[in-house]
Amino acid sequence: MVTAPMTALTTSAFAMDIGTSSATPPTARPVSTVPTPSVTAPTGTPASAGPILIDIEHVDFFYGPSQALHDINLKIEEKKVTAFIGPSGCGKSTLLRCLNRMNDLIDGTRVAKGQIKIRGVDIYERSVDVIELRKRVGMVFQKSNPFPKSIYENVTYGLRLQGRSNKADLDAVVEKSLRGAALWDEVKDRLHTSGLGLSGGQQQRLCIARAIAVEPEVILMDEPCSALDPIATVKVEELIQELRTRFTIVIVTHNMQQAARCSDKTAFFYMGKLIEYADTRAIFMNPANAQTEAYVSGRFG
Amino acid sequence: MDSPHSVPASDFLVNNKRIRVLGLSFDDAVKIFFGGNAVVSVVVLALITYFLFQEGFGFFGQNHRNLLTYRQAGLEYVDFIRTQESGHTALTRYLSDLRLRQYNRLTIDQKQSSAAANQSLASFDAFAAQYGDAVEPIRGLVSDLTEQATAIKTKFLIAEDKKVERQQLLAAGKSAEAAAVKIETVDFATELKVLTGTLPVYKETSAEFAKRLDVALTNAPAMPAPELAARLDRFRQLTREYVATFPATTGSLETWDYARPVPWYQSFTAFLFGREWLTASFWQDWYGIVPLLIGSLMVSLVALVIAVPLGVGSAIYINQIASMREQRFIKPSIEFISAFPSVVLGFFGIAVLGQFLRWLSQQPSLAWVPGFPFSERLNILTAGCLLALIAIPTIFTLAEDALQNVPKAFKEASFALGASRLQTIIKIVVPASLSGIISAVLLGLGRVIGETMVVLLCAGNRIAIPDFTAGLAVVTQPVHTMTGIIAQEMGEVVRGSIHYRALFVVGIVLFFLSLAINFIAQKIVRRYRISIG
Ligand SMILES: Nc1ncnc2c1ncn2[C@@H]1O[C@H](COP(=O)(O)OP(=O)(O)OP(=O)(O)O)[C@@H](O)[C@H]1O
Ligand SMILES: [Mg+2]
Repeated sequence: MVTAPMTALTTSAFAMDIGTSSATPPTARPVSTVPTPSVTAPTGTPASAGPILIDIEHVDFFYGPSQALHDINLKIEEKKVTAFIGPSGCGKSTLLRCLNRMNDLIDGTRVAKGQIKIRGVDIYERSVDVIELRKRVGMVFQKSNPFPKSIYENVTYGLRLQGRSNKADLDAVVEKSLRGAALWDEVKDRLHTSGLGLSGGQQQRLCIARAIAVEPEVILMDEPCSALDPIATVKVEELIQELRTRFTIVIVTHNMQQAARCSDKTAFFYMGKLIEYADTRAIFMNPANAQTEAYVSGRFG
Repeated sequence: MDSPHSVPASDFLVNNKRIRVLGLSFDDAVKIFFGGNAVVSVVVLALITYFLFQEGFGFFGQNHRNLLTYRQAGLEYVDFIRTQESGHTALTRYLSDLRLRQYNRLTIDQKQSSAAANQSLASFDAFAAQYGDAVEPIRGLVSDLTEQATAIKTKFLIAEDKKVERQQLLAAGKSAEAAAVKIETVDFATELKVLTGTLPVYKETSAEFAKRLDVALTNAPAMPAPELAARLDRFRQLTREYVATFPATTGSLETWDYARPVPWYQSFTAFLFGREWLTASFWQDWYGIVPLLIGSLMVSLVALVIAVPLGVGSAIYINQIASMREQRFIKPSIEFISAFPSVVLGFFGIAVLGQFLRWLSQQPSLAWVPGFPFSERLNILTAGCLLALIAIPTIFTLAEDALQNVPKAFKEASFALGASRLQTIIKIVVPASLSGIISAVLLGLGRVIGETMVVLLCAGNRIAIPDFTAGLAVVTQPVHTMTGIIAQEMGEVVRGSIHYRALFVVGIVLFFLSLAINFIAQKIVRRYRISIG
């Protein structure tokens, strides 16, 4: 059957060929493996090492001829918040978008080497249904992008794609998702007005509601607060704290405090390489790498 | 004031060094240049509009006189009876159709020789001939009256011409010559006695006619096939209904009065709702725009039915699906279509497309298609196909623009939620750009409705309202269009004549139609800009 870190139950949730998944190369490391050698060894041991959900192994990524990621090794734990930090252009978004294959939409991109496995299944495998993958790995973008449709239609969009049209069913999901995104009380009386009529912060929470409506396992957030004012930012951060109990969250941020406040683990990237990956507290209090130290303390270009 | 930091005033006049020509700086000159261009286009637009209206509006007065003469010279009176006569002609056509069906039944279904078939149709032919001849007395009456009415009209028109001549001589100061122009006054009341005096004769003839039809019907042979028998019954019914209209005709003739005024609005309604465009006729000219308008609309409709799916479809393909390589090849190809001069397209339409479509329609395997086979090479379909070629680049380019304007973020969000490419196109991209696409279609419509050369060459140029009872097959009929008629007739008409002015009014209608289409398209685009935010 499947190798140790996977549970048969959840693997079957992916619309994948079981044959392929059981053909996972024997090189797959067990959960307990400490961070890969290329990562500077974290100083503190993880407080509680959860099960690994996403396993990134030796990934090189190219935009046409130019390489954006160099040999990335990273294990993302289930039901934890993992933050990606690093200076602009270091490849955070690129790696994030690799996790739900959004980079497929850009011509000429490719993962040249390595594997990205979710529950042990290589998501770049031929047999993987990208659409199914994206249902399981949701995404929230830097700039809020609700559809030019009503709030209700925004939230139900993903479900309708799956052919669900039962009114009561959808109503329930809308309420649950909007509550989940801490937006319900603000919009419950105007569900059928345009999503574009909301404030920036509300729009971003609407996008989060839209993402969680399809019950993904992972939510990828690319600088979700960078366009928001401090109060809206606090709301989204609080929301992330609530969501972590139900979802695995990967968040890209430029805001050190935000990373420190919200995340359990932090990965620091520089020039397309993963420099250090450890418990958030370790990264901020006691970084092992001098570059990391310089960056988190703000002494870095 | 005296502080060391203060700058002497003269150093501050930095503008002094600018070059000025005629007191204008360079900026001013640029502003005047571009402003001038804008002003020129506005002025040209205003001049064209003014010219159109100035030439066109005289039409309505002339048309009013035209209609008045029609009544006063008794042409209207004669046309009552003529209508009755043409009603009979329509019925005889029904009869020949019936004969053809029976003939086909005999020769095709029952495999009889044509001689044998004609033989067995002899009794039917006798009946048809009797039925056809019944109208002769009425026809004779109509032709007599036509002559008389024409004479009155001619007399009147000559008198009018003379009046104009005298007027011109007077204006030129030649009063002697003016006095020498003899003007015969036409007294309609007396002249028309000749016409109206025939009323008793008409009544008699009409009664005779009705009786003859009745007798002819009793001689109708029985039709063997139930389907044809039903048709013959229908024919009897139609004849009875026809005969029942005779008293109404008599009533119209009795109450007819040449002196009844023609209301002023009738010159407008006769134009806007007139079903006949008939010029240079020996009897009466009609300037009704309906057949031309319908012709233009039908041709444009066919063009859009073809061009919208192709134009919008390829825009979606190019914008959403095609690879870079395909884009580089397909986009210029489509845009290149608009480089063909429309006369070349028209030429192609006559020489190739029309021929090909007719050949296609005559393929036995395609006989199930409505309207197939057809014999007119030049018709709505041929012109519509070519106009579609003209509309496609417009629709394609504008629709592609609209699709391009859909923010990428919408698409990404849709994909990130697990939508396929097709779902994203249908649910997000097309709705978000719908108003842009609609206005692209409208501008395409504006483009084809104003197109002249292609329709002039390929629409068949028959001035008649197509027969819509044919269903979809209506597109295989020839029509004439508003643009086509202007191009065709403008060169031949006498400047200032009613015909000349009528063409201008057609131009005005065309102008307003295009204006309305463009206006609506712009309105829609504006709303769509706002909705995307
Ligand atoms: N579509 C693309 N085509 C080509 N190169 C790209 C593309 N997107 C990103 N890159 C390059 O890949 C590298 C990593 O970009 P990425 O967007 O992942 O950085 P980032 O860490 O998210 O930066 P930021 O913090 O500014 O968002 C950069 O050098 C960038 O120029
Ligand atoms: Mg980024």
